[in-house]
Amino acid sequence: MANSAATYLAALEKLHQYLQGYVPFTRSEFRLMEPFIEIREFDKRVRVIHEGNVERYVNFVAWGLVRKYLPVRNKEITIQLASEGHMIHSELSFHYRVPSRSVVETIEPTVFFSISYDSLEQMYEQIPGMERLGRLMITDLFIKSDTRYFNQLRKSTRERFLEYVRTHPQMVQRVPQKYLASFLNIKPETFSRLKHLTRGKSVKG
Amino acid sequence: MLEMLREYISGYVALTREEFAVLADKLVVRELGRRQLLVRVGEVEEYLSFVVKGLARLYFHKGKTEMIINIAKEGELIASSSSFLSGRPSNYYVETLEPCTLLSISRAHLEQVYKESPKIEKLGRLMTTYFVLQKEEWELECMRLDTRERFLRFIGNNPELLPRVPQKYLASYLNMKPETFSRLKNHIKKRPVTGRP
Repeated sequence: MANSAATYLAALEKLHQYLQGYVPFTRSEFRLMEPFIEIREFDKRVRVIHEGNVERYVNFVAWGLVRKYLPVRNKEITIQLASEGHMIHSELSFHYRVPSRSVVETIEPTVFFSISYDSLEQMYEQIPGMERLGRLMITDLFIKSDTRYFNQLRKSTRERFLEYVRTHPQMVQRVPQKYLASFLNIKPETFSRLKHLTRGKSVKG
Repeated sequence: MLEMLREYISGYVALTREEFAVLADKLVVRELGRRQLLVRVGEVEEYLSFVVKGLARLYFHKGKTEMIINIAKEGELIASSSSFLSGRPSNYYVETLEPCTLLSISRAHLEQVYKESPKIEKLGRLMTTYFVLQKEEWELECMRLDTRERFLRFIGNNPELLPRVPQKYLASYLNMKPETFSRLKNHIKKRPVTGRP
């Protein structure tokens, strides 16, 4: 992976814009955050956090594609898929400082902007507006996770499939089918059949 | 009543008497009878409530079955949380199971309190983080544990709910058939549960 400095700066600028969606940080306020951000690079199919390790970081995907899964009785249940601009880590392990039950693994070569647990604590102490940013981001996370949970319980397999394809067309191209099927809690065979159905037709919600 | 809330909050942050007063000033006490709906599907949840006394549940209908996703008792929070946080219509009903005394704060008031006190904003951040983690933990357990393990874990952690909540509701919450629940319950009557699985 040969990435130029300009590429990193562009990705950092995107992170700034993304955070501004929550709290209007000026460029100089954002500068205060930069010393806390670590750049971490991984090849494809690399485990970033193993089952049993304590998660040290919260990660923002600068570029690449990552999944989180739960190993259950010889199976891997995909619980999150994250691409550019998304946040991914083993939350329970990170916050409770306990061994992770889930695994975070790259699908494509990936670059993270990562903040360690200690750095994050320092940021909350030192940077004005950080509490608000944290609260609003976590609130957003809660709402998204609740919506996903509700949809899993409430909607049919077909509805879940169609909604995901409509809202995440680029993920359908990039993510291996078995991971998508697992994430949507759809049998791989059913997933193929549904995908076949939508081929050649425009998908309407 | 306020003492209970103060105790709950101290698990997250240490508020001074003045900071707590800023919050307490915005609270309303709500007394509700048994089986009252606080929020219906499609309505916007206006309050975040702390249960001082009673029991309440959060649920929705899937076809003809009621799916219960939360049961809150004394010392816990109840709300259609996503709706409260987003201001969008609720996907769930909130209903009391027993007569309830709630200490509630409205969304507008909570926003105001966050602006007035950075410490309370921190409380908001930590509580919301806890909600996310609790939810994540519950979902992971549903994937990881089998029916029997889920039953034992729940009963081990919430023994007081067993006599208070109708069995079919607990079964729904644990996502198992009522028959399965009752079989597991009879099973532990013979061999009491000790510790967690």
